Amino acid sequence: MALRQRAVAKGADDDTIFDEAFLAKLELLHVIARRLFRGRQRAERKTRKVGSGLEFADHRQYSPGDDIRYIDWTAWVRLRHRLIRLYEEDEDLPIRIVVDVSDSMSTRGKRKLKYARQVAAALAYVGLANLDRVGMSCISGKSFETLPAVRGKGRIFKVFEFLRTSDTGGPTDLRHGLTRVAAQSSQPGLTVVISDFYDLNAFEGLNMLRFRRHDPVAIQIIDPIEADPRGTGLRGDVTVVDCEGGTRREVTVSARTLDAFAQAHEKFCAQLEASCRSRGIHYVRASIDVPFDDLVLRMFRMGGILL
Amino acid sequence: MTFAGMTLAGLMPLAIGGAVAITGLYLLRMRRRQVVVPFAALWELVTRESESRRLWRRLRRVLSWLVQLVVLLLILSALGDPRPDVWLREPATIAIVVDRSASMSGATADGGTRMDAARVRAQQEIAALGPADQAIIISAGEEVGVVAPRSGEQAALSAALATIEPSYGEADLSRALALAEHVVADADGPRVLVLTDGALDDAGMLALSRCTEGAVPCTIATVDGATENIAITAFAARRYPNARDKVEVLAEVKNLGDAPAVVELDVEADGVSVGRRRLELLPGQSKREALADLEAARARFVAHLRVVEDPPTGMSTALGPAFDDVAYAVVPPLSPLTVVVVTDGTDLFLEAALLTQGEHVELTGVTPAQAVAGHAALRDADVVVFDVADAPLPATLPDAHLLVFDPWRRASSPFAIAKRADIKRPFLTEQLRDHPVLAHVVLKDVNITRGTTFALEPGDQALVRTLGEPIMVLRERGDHGLVAVGFDPRQTDLPLRVAFPLFVDNVLKYFEQREPGFVASIALGGSRELALAELGMAVDGVTRVVVRAPDGTEREQPVEDGRIRLRALEPGFFEFTAVDGDAIGSAELAVNQTGTAASDLHPRTADLDPAVFAGEAPTPAPVAQGPLWTAIILLATAIVVVEWATYHRRITV
Repeated sequence: MALRQRAVAKGADDDTIFDEAFLAKLELLHVIARRLFRGRQRAERKTRKVGSGLEFADHRQYSPGDDIRYIDWTAWVRLRHRLIRLYEEDEDLPIRIVVDVSDSMSTRGKRKLKYARQVAAALAYVGLANLDRVGMSCISGKSFETLPAVRGKGRIFKVFEFLRTSDTGGPTDLRHGLTRVAAQSSQPGLTVVISDFYDLNAFEGLNMLRFRRHDPVAIQIIDPIEADPRGTGLRGDVTVVDCEGGTRREVTVSARTLDAFAQAHEKFCAQLEASCRSRGIHYVRASIDVPFDDLVLRMFRMGGILL
Repeated sequence: MTFAGMTLAGLMPLAIGGAVAITGLYLLRMRRRQVVVPFAALWELVTRESESRRLWRRLRRVLSWLVQLVVLLLILSALGDPRPDVWLREPATIAIVVDRSASMSGATADGGTRMDAARVRAQQEIAALGPADQAIIISAGEEVGVVAPRSGEQAALSAALATIEPSYGEADLSRALALAEHVVADADGPRVLVLTDGALDDAGMLALSRCTEGAVPCTIATVDGATENIAITAFAARRYPNARDKVEVLAEVKNLGDAPAVVELDVEADGVSVGRRRLELLPGQSKREALADLEAARARFVAHLRVVEDPPTGMSTALGPAFDDVAYAVVPPLSPLTVVVVTDGTDLFLEAALLTQGEHVELTGVTPAQAVAGHAALRDADVVVFDVADAPLPATLPDAHLLVFDPWRRASSPFAIAKRADIKRPFLTEQLRDHPVLAHVVLKDVNITRGTTFALEPGDQALVRTLGEPIMVLRERGDHGLVAVGFDPRQTDLPLRVAFPLFVDNVLKYFEQREPGFVASIALGGSRELALAELGMAVDGVTRVVVRAPDGTEREQPVEDGRIRLRALEPGFFEFTAVDGDAIGSAELAVNQTGTAASDLHPRTADLDPAVFAGEAPTPAPVAQGPLWTAIILLATAIVVVEWATYHRRITV
């Protein structure tokens, strides 16, 4: 009986995640985004490659097989070096949004998962509105579901449907999931990973994206209660059970223990942030107490992450 | 221990059931609450540091379980209403008589005093009192006192016990034990316990024997201690009879211990050392040391025994208790002696003998006619010498010491000593050679023309007799003495002999020594009557006197007939100052401890029947008052409160 009630609650929660109010906020975000980045061309992202672009980028040595039209004759006349002129080619890069749907995101009434879905939907909507190709993946140690890249604002409901219906649960395994995302992406692009990153190997997954020439963005979703449980009144002898692996550990919780946990959590997040920044990976820490649209706007203001 | 409430058989099922219930509840409590967390790795990281405390935590849980079991047992014990066996016995009333004689200040092997050991034993007796028992504490010193009245309050008894200190004299055990027996005789379970070191005088031993043989059970608990002691057993100062400006000090020191000892005797006069002697004494030996020709200007003498710093090998330097290592003496004041000679001036030998007296003798000559007329000098005289030949004596002889030559020259005479017979050419055949008046006086072959013998009355002393008839008589007349010589010096050849000036000098000294001022030292003791005149104080008109004790305390006391009652319980100098009277005067008195018996630390109880000794101290009663179950409940409540407080502070969780 209790399980049934819980299931009903779960379905109801999934149905209301993308309600009218949510859509209104998305539209507002789109308007704000257009105002912030007015003047830019749609789907205009530069790649440094030999292409049909107009803007000179660099030289490289001529190799047999290169189109002789791109040989810099002026340099050959002056320096007797055969150099190929390189131009930046304009192309639309895909945006892939990866949502961690592991069990650790579903604790405390799936608040983190709901928040992650809303952020993912918002980012997808902004991307689609900018005529970018937006793909979506929901990953965990148990499942891996992918929404192929779509273009156009009207496909946002497909994104909603995907986020609503994708399987959840299983352990967090960002390394495996992000490696798979990188492998499936035929064209590198901007990859936004939304997770709590409660995985000791999480950074390796991000690094794998970077290795595959993706431009990863890490959005760490934090539940303040889980990050600092000092206000929960938790005391005494308890058995701590990991929601993902079933790891059990007997702990005597005291005020000192809670202090130490809060410090350890903060240290864990800080290490992840430092690792990301050292590799040029954008990192955003988001508390679920902050409305998702505020988070998205904050990301806009940080500049250069999405648009 | 006896259970007056529920029986042990009734309590056992409750104990078992309660223990099982508590254990079950604890097993339930020890089932930990599960907390699902998203990232247990962080918790592992945090709790890894406290792994070493896991054993303590387990022990703490076990301890908490044990605490609850203890609380259960305490509650069940309270239900049983436990009572020590001592509570169930018949009520007892014990009179604890503590010997506080001077010897109780002797040292014991553990560094304390015998009094300390007695207090400990008394405290043990008090601690063994049951709820229905009572005790009274009586101290036996020179005076007997009830230190704590009959009571069952252990705190009050213990507090009173702590106030008992050794005195400076012997214990009056006779009165103390009589009081103790009287107090407990009619009570339930009467018993007398005497706490003593056994170093008692004969009276004390006799009192002990009587007590142990009396109707009330009387037992003795003895305390042991070292017996080494060197004491000043006598100390006195006196003026030389023939040199009043010089004094002589005599001190007697005795080794009362069991080993040869060496000690230094130091005599101080008004704080200045006037003589030191190093004395080596065998066990039981006493030595007398005299310091001669000391200036009489110093009035106070104090003798100290001091430890010798370089003792010979094998000689003990232990002085024992301090109370007998110091003694006090006062030099009597030198008051002038007024001597009036009533003479017709024809007896030059008598005048010459009187002129040999010291400067303190004030000599005044009065003719017989002036004496008859009531010369003023006669009223103030200390000594009046009547040598009136055939002249009449005054109708009323002056109120002074009298030396009267030939009082019955005339047929009728107002003289107090009646004439027995006239004798021609009497021979002086018998004399009291040991009497001070006749010291060194030889009256053999004295030629006398005529004389009269006297009729003796009870109390009269015949100093010289002629063929059995008294011819020289000493009569005591209240405060004064009267020496009657039954012949005229002019009618004998006695003045030509050495005996005459010696006789005159002896008479004056005898009278002088009967005068007040020669009681300069007394022994310690309780209330006693003391004549102020004997201390050299003018007592005319004195109704109150201030007594200043050695410890500085002053007390004003009434004077009746020139006498006061003095409590001298502390050795030292007592000062007396008259508050009123014709001549405001003062006097001093030295008080010393009683003597050898008080200083002898050897116990004398070895000859007593072993059955009279109390044996080992009783076992203390667990709780003296009140039902024990209330204390148990309080204890259980305290434990629960502590456990509750620590639980809610997450200490024992």
